[in-house]
Amino acid sequence: MSEGGASRRGFFRDLASAVGSAREVLAPDAPPPEPPPPPPDFGGLADAEIERYARQLVLPEWGTAAQLALSEANVLVVGAGALAAPVASYLVGAGVGRLGILDPDVVELSNLHRQTLHFTPDLGVPKAESAAAKLRFLNPDVVIEPYQVRLEEENAGALIEGQDVVVDCSDSFATRYAVNAACCAARVRLVEAGVLGLQGMVMSIKPGRTACYRCAFPVAPADAPSCADAGVLGPAAGVIGSLQALEAMKLVTGVAPAVADGFLQVDLASAGFLRVHAARREDCPDCGKL
Amino acid sequence: MTWVRTKLALEALAPGDALDVRCRPGEALENVPRSARAAGHAVTVEGTTIRIVRA
Repeated sequence: MSEGGASRRGFFRDLASAVGSAREVLAPDAPPPEPPPPPPDFGGLADAEIERYARQLVLPEWGTAAQLALSEANVLVVGAGALAAPVASYLVGAGVGRLGILDPDVVELSNLHRQTLHFTPDLGVPKAESAAAKLRFLNPDVVIEPYQVRLEEENAGALIEGQDVVVDCSDSFATRYAVNAACCAARVRLVEAGVLGLQGMVMSIKPGRTACYRCAFPVAPADAPSCADAGVLGPAAGVIGSLQALEAMKLVTGVAPAVADGFLQVDLASAGFLRVHAARREDCPDCGKL
Repeated sequence: MTWVRTKLALEALAPGDALDVRCRPGEALENVPRSARAAGHAVTVEGTTIRIVRA
């Protein structure tokens, strides 16, 4: 420390002392200052959280309780493709507590027109890892767990264990039925969806309480084309995935009724939304005994 | 952000409890009473202090 620095420090110390003395001289009989009011109670949300989530916290339907419920939720997204991109982005952006995302595949050039979490430099990278990298940038407060694995009947139960909600963004009927059966067995709430061309569907399932995917669709269609065969437009997957994200947020927080006991059929060529009823089936092999 | 913080603070109160919000003159002093009334709360404004009674 230079002599000048010590001198300046001494000056400020003397000044502080003088100010203290002045207070005493100016107000010798003043009552002790009132204690500051207690800080406002924002329900445990930190300032940074209030700022990050302000546009949803301000909604009449949302608020502290919904935000805390979401922040404590474990959600598993099955698939890291076109539907998963809006699902994972919106859930992570909104502040879900932990998001697992699983996909066995690597990013291919033909994915990029609709799978908006993957970019051209990601070609050849496992989709789960590619998605996780973007999601961590989006919201570092969320725990992101990528798994490069294919969900099948044999491992579905272990993958789903401990989840609050599963969002099925897979692109095969075999995976959908495996996810549905495992979620019913574990009584884990599920959001199913599918998209092809300009059409899609979304369905929320509360096992044991509402119709499950197999109740609505007892058998897979024999001649259903795949995305690779029939094609899909990116925005169509974006719409259906966004609806899935919203359904997951409804299931976690209860801020609005989910599309349960049926499904929402979406025809984006005509901009038509049709709610189709489906009832629980007593003979359903997945949920009939629940 | 003032209304967001006000809304969260109101959520922590019981119906009938009052919350005083002190604002500097400006946009928040106009927006907070309007948003609070729209949410159904009773609002009075004195100077730069907004008193909101939770509905």
